[in-house]
Amino acid sequence: MIKKISQFIKKIQIGDLLTIFIFIALTGYLSSILWNFPQGEYLKIQMGKQEIGSFSLNQNVIKVIEGPIGKTEVIIDSGRVRISKAPCTKKYCIHQGWIKQLNQTIVCVPNKISISIIGNQSDYDSLNY
Amino acid sequence: MPYNKLILLLIFFLTGCYQNETTQKKDYIFGTIVEVTIYGETEEKSTHAIELVFNEFRRLHHYLHPWEKSIIQEINLSIKNQEIYTTQDTEILSIIKHNQELELKTQGYFNPAIGKIIEVWGFHSDQFAMDRPNSTVIENLRRNLPHMSEINIHSRYIESKNKNIQLDLGGYAKGYALDQAKRILSKNNINNALINIGGNILALGRHGDRNWVVGIQNPRKPSSIGSISLKSGWSIGTSGDYQRYFIVDNQRYSHLIDPNTGYPANNAQSATILLPPIKSSGTLSDVYSKPLFIAPKKLKHSIAKELGIDFYMIVMADGKISISNDMLNLIKWHKKIDKKDITIH
Repeated sequence: MIKKISQFIKKIQIGDLLTIFIFIALTGYLSSILWNFPQGEYLKIQMGKQEIGSFSLNQNVIKVIEGPIGKTEVIIDSGRVRISKAPCTKKYCIHQGWIKQLNQTIVCVPNKISISIIGNQSDYDSLNY
Repeated sequence: MPYNKLILLLIFFLTGCYQNETTQKKDYIFGTIVEVTIYGETEEKSTHAIELVFNEFRRLHHYLHPWEKSIIQEINLSIKNQEIYTTQDTEILSIIKHNQELELKTQGYFNPAIGKIIEVWGFHSDQFAMDRPNSTVIENLRRNLPHMSEINIHSRYIESKNKNIQLDLGGYAKGYALDQAKRILSKNNINNALINIGGNILALGRHGDRNWVVGIQNPRKPSSIGSISLKSGWSIGTSGDYQRYFIVDNQRYSHLIDPNTGYPANNAQSATILLPPIKSSGTLSDVYSKPLFIAPKKLKHSIAKELGIDFYMIVMADGKISISNDMLNLIKWHKKIDKKDITIH
């Protein structure tokens, strides 16, 4: 069995290696653009109509988003997220505190920013409030 | 090269895995988030239909705006100046007539003629003043409470003898927009969609082999209380004290003013209703949640019955839940609710 495998490996040429490498690279590339986050949970940030991006929750970073009335600061803290600074007068978005569950959303209406936690499966399609 | 074929085959299978089932777009209209989700159509067709819907929302926002330049503002001004307003616009005439009917049906708990009181409370501004108005001002406005029935419509003339009338369709416009969206989507052959205007939702068709599912916001936490599966044509609306409000001296003042007192209603945190696909159900899902939120605790149940609302849930001021039996059978709680915290009607 081992002999057969080693014989097979000896037969592999540079062309084969190149092909295998291209296969792996292509598979990785295509799955990254064609599959919508197959697992894990992400934070989706949107400003007005525009989607700023989706960020993994498994990190500790501060994102600053420039909205129509100023800068909104979002903290991602290993699985949980909150808005820490906002240019609006009422600061409802800051008072909401931490969110960490799927589909939880914080909206800053004056600055047109919404952040929501997305993931693979969802409990509902939209929220009534 | 056989490998070429293999690569092509691999690409084919990878793209085969990827299927974009829904197209969702959001925008900020009516001073809130609007969101339309379409199932099972190409992105191009969906985007086009959603843009048509958003254009209609923008038109309505400017058309019915309570305090910026709009036809409502023009009518309010001519009533204030005791003039007769002349118009060829049949849409606004039927909207005002509908609002007259709704005030009567809801026993005055929905009263879109009290724009003055709402303005005095400071809710006629995107960045409203966080201050209580003078109590004598409120008392004067309450004593001369205007009613929709005091507006006279003769063919294309609108006038009123009561110059205290100030129309504010803030509790009507978003619901009306839901019905308009439903019409536009059907006209464009979109059969499966979910329309959400600031939390007021109408479902069309299904999400594939299941119904559309919507979450219901917890009024005091950034999470949902439970979720509801919406059949095609059904709509859900909530009136709550957690979207437009201010707090002074630990007292919460929301934008939902009780016309009988002139003060924000404070016996509930939220009132949610579910309506079947009846005529103007989108509009009614917006309007009918108001009387359930505002009316005194004892009357809420009988008003729901009178309005024909079988599905409702009210989170009272103390956080306890008052729910109809039909609603209880439909709701899927996201957290177990203690039996002592829930009353079933």
